[in-house]
Amino acid sequence: MSILGTRVLRTEDPRFLTTGGVYTEDVVDERLAGACHVTFVRSPVAHAKISEIDVSAALAAPGVVAVITGADLADLPTIEPAMAGLINGKMRQRLLATDTVRHVGEAVAAVVTESAYQGEDAIELVQVDYDLLPAVVDMTAAAADEVVLHADAGTNTAADFGSPDSLKADLFDGCEVVVSQTIVNQRVAPAPMETRAAAAVWGDDGRLTAWVPNQGAQGTRGSLAKLLALEEAQIRVITPDVGGAFGAKFGADPEHAVVAWIARYLGRPARWTETRYENLISMTHGRAQRQQVTIGGSKDGTVQAYRLEVLQDAGAYPRIGAILPFLTILMTPGPYAFPRAEAIAKTVVTNTTPVGAYRGAGRPEATAAVERAIDLFAAAAGVDPAQVRRKNLLPTFTEPHQTAFGALYDSGDYVAALDKALAAAGYDELRTEQQRRRASGDVRQIGIGLASYVEITGAGDEAGAPNENASVEVHPDGTATILTGTSPHGQGHATAWAMIASDELGIPVEKITLKWGDTDLIPEGGGTGGSRSLQLGGAAVQQASKELLDVARQRAADQLEANPADLVFDVGRSAFAVAGDPDASVPLAALAEGERLLVRTVFAAAGATFPFGTHVAVAEVDTETGKVVLRRMVTVDDAGVVLNPLLAEGQRHGGIAQGAAQAFLEEVLYDADGNPLTTSFADYPILSATEMPSFELADMATPTSYNPLGAKGIGEAGTIGSTPAVQNAVIDAVAYLGVRHIDMPTTPRRVWQAIRDAAHDGSEHG
Amino acid sequence: MEFLQPTSWTDALAAKAASPEAVPICGGTDLMVELNFDARRPAALLDLTKVADLAQWDIDDGSVRLGAGVSYARIITELSARLPGLAMAARTVGSPQIRNRGTVGGNLGTASPAGDAHPPLLAAAATVEAASVRGTRLIGIDEFFTGVKRNALAADELIAAVRIPLPVGPEQFSKIGTRNAMVIAVAAFAVALQPARKLVRTGIGSAAPTPRRAPAAEQFLAGALAEHDLWESRAELPGPLLDRFGDLVTAAAAPIDDVRGTAAYRLHALGVMARRTLAWAWRQYQSASPEGS
Repeated sequence: MSILGTRVLRTEDPRFLTTGGVYTEDVVDERLAGACHVTFVRSPVAHAKISEIDVSAALAAPGVVAVITGADLADLPTIEPAMAGLINGKMRQRLLATDTVRHVGEAVAAVVTESAYQGEDAIELVQVDYDLLPAVVDMTAAAADEVVLHADAGTNTAADFGSPDSLKADLFDGCEVVVSQTIVNQRVAPAPMETRAAAAVWGDDGRLTAWVPNQGAQGTRGSLAKLLALEEAQIRVITPDVGGAFGAKFGADPEHAVVAWIARYLGRPARWTETRYENLISMTHGRAQRQQVTIGGSKDGTVQAYRLEVLQDAGAYPRIGAILPFLTILMTPGPYAFPRAEAIAKTVVTNTTPVGAYRGAGRPEATAAVERAIDLFAAAAGVDPAQVRRKNLLPTFTEPHQTAFGALYDSGDYVAALDKALAAAGYDELRTEQQRRRASGDVRQIGIGLASYVEITGAGDEAGAPNENASVEVHPDGTATILTGTSPHGQGHATAWAMIASDELGIPVEKITLKWGDTDLIPEGGGTGGSRSLQLGGAAVQQASKELLDVARQRAADQLEANPADLVFDVGRSAFAVAGDPDASVPLAALAEGERLLVRTVFAAAGATFPFGTHVAVAEVDTETGKVVLRRMVTVDDAGVVLNPLLAEGQRHGGIAQGAAQAFLEEVLYDADGNPLTTSFADYPILSATEMPSFELADMATPTSYNPLGAKGIGEAGTIGSTPAVQNAVIDAVAYLGVRHIDMPTTPRRVWQAIRDAAHDGSEHG
Repeated sequence: MEFLQPTSWTDALAAKAASPEAVPICGGTDLMVELNFDARRPAALLDLTKVADLAQWDIDDGSVRLGAGVSYARIITELSARLPGLAMAARTVGSPQIRNRGTVGGNLGTASPAGDAHPPLLAAAATVEAASVRGTRLIGIDEFFTGVKRNALAADELIAAVRIPLPVGPEQFSKIGTRNAMVIAVAAFAVALQPARKLVRTGIGSAAPTPRRAPAAEQFLAGALAEHDLWESRAELPGPLLDRFGDLVTAAAAPIDDVRGTAAYRLHALGVMARRTLAWAWRQYQSASPEGS
């Protein structure tokens, strides 16, 4: 029986649960002996000219080796925005701010000390004189260009995706019901448990070795090469254990490059680990969109037209977040068959922390918009929201479906996912219970929130091709080693990739070792993000294993003096045998004696895949205090064929929790002057287990033909579905009080305010 | 930074007298946050964890004498029957780890308006036992909180214990925050009924510069209960009575807007919590037999 599809326990866990992981800060390596420590001086103001930096007092402080400012780095290139073709290329950043700071937390200087504690004290002695400039915090104000952040660019608009002129004036003609709503998809912090860090040393050969927590060592090497004006061949990136990334650890940040530069400048290894405070103000944030949705259709619940207008906050410097509206627009209609739909977007810079990728990156924003729009429309039309979804979902398709926005959905059965989720949740009974509570005037009301989604996973990297490499080697002792271009940081690739190889090669999972994240060992790879790993990296392992068997078959034929075509591979014994003569056999491991039995291959997928599903959230809302308690989360997440249900459920659990947290808890806040208000976990309420119910997961698996595993991505689906489901549930709970919409996070104060405003409106109109 | 670590109460008082600038530290759940964020850099720390006496509690003359170093976790496990109001509040403090470290003495020392122990201590008419080399004095909880994070201790004084009268009636506590655990209160409220004395006491948290009582609400309620013979009849509390109590509690507060909540929301939430906690306490009173109460 195949091991694929079974609940193999994570081979990674015993180490994490006993001795613990080795994160960048923990790395013990003789090359790092005697390392100095880097501590960054960060801007306390959102927008200012730097008139002077006086480092003399800091230099005199105990343990200070050097103080580096932007002037020291003048020879290095300025940082180009990501996707410079799409983004205004004049919005550039320096590794350390030289003449202007554009957000609180921007690094202005780096203090190098013998010990980390000395650095914390010494940074206070660096005197920076700031001439304050007006801060631009609000996106609409930024778009007005009254204060321009990047003078060279001459505008705060980093990118336009379509023009308002292209919007059709007659889009909603003939619609009996038309609803509009401004929706805030708020800024959130990735908040990985492991903050950013780096360790760097230069060898006598002039090469940099950098330990960086990342999501893809090869991409991090590429970023460092750009930031430091080096050839990629001059850099080796090593990936220690990574304590969470969520999209924010792709590539390298300016601080990583500064640490590497300092190590070369001082001829001494250098290390850096940021504090939680620094992490919350200077690691990229996620989401940060303001959306205007308009939806119209007939009173029976059929949607005829949908419009999405997006304003994206890029923060002070355009990073990957600046181009995410591209993905939001691509996924505008979600799983629906809207006859007419259109979308435009604009990205602006503001005096806030730069925005990057965050679990789902552009797709959750599209889903959140359309799922709120569907509920708004359902409420206005007076049709049950489940019914509206069923009426407008695309019918089942097995051949790829081309959307008007250019996405090619590979396979989908959206109505089945909806019905399965509704049945698992007991939707009709929930509505009955809701009616009962409303009738009894219960203070605690329940709301049922739905979100049907389709998302895009395993899309092409920057170069455009959805592919990944893998090497598989069988050793004479019967063990095997896999090298992968993916970069697991909790996803369980060591287990999953071993299962795939084991299934082909007949070598037990525990005898297979996975290696990743060292660019000298694995020079190419796309890393882990965009839910790409299994469908590309896992498929590559399977392909490499099959190709390895082809090589081995030839060797076996030579040894057994048989025709290769007459050999059968017995997976159970991990041996080739002559058909009809099982005694004439040779173990696979024996074929690795002498010449190495090693295959490297690249798997190229036919295209991106589109997982889908429906989430049902049940929220209980205290209508007096506004407090939300999430009672149930019932989800159908169809990511094609599941390799290991345990790992897939883990991804769903984490995603559901993270998405729900955005719906009712988390928000990065700034005051009007650009001062961050959520700079510790006391003020930024990351989710804890006490806020979550036990998740109810229903299974559904519609295979994709784009890879031989039949798998789609599962890493982000939970986040994409749960955010609007929970938000819709909260609003549904208080809809009978006249509430149409509540922006996220649905904190007690906001829910109470919405109830109060609705009562006020009601009495005004009544 | 000086680090003083006395091993006896006498030594601790001597150390505080000699170094009045020394900041006492016990669980460190408040103070260490301030130190870590560099919000405060005291010249000296006075570690009280080695003073064994501080971690004791006993019952003395109808009161629990709770040593300043008794953790919230121990209040929950050892005192929840005797001090139900304080135990309810203790259960909402931080996380298990923080409840293992944090102490009521520390909470009083910090005197934060958001300290979870304060509303039930106000409602219970607790007394703070302050000690110095000059002697010991008792400070009524009503006089203890003097300003934002300020208390009535003299520079050479330490908190030895807090004396909490054993309740003579139902106690209730409620707190609202953005999540269920590890959260600083947006607002908190405690109420204690004293049927034998026909008295009511309250405590408000996170909704004024200091924790405070709502005297007008207490007087109104005590008066209304007496006027309608409700102490004796244990009849249902009329809705308008609950509403008026809530309104008067709200009127006693003076909250601010901050990142956790607006003043308007805090006032509203206080009113809700006041009505609810009173209703819960009254239900307890109703279900207790008249003879046994």
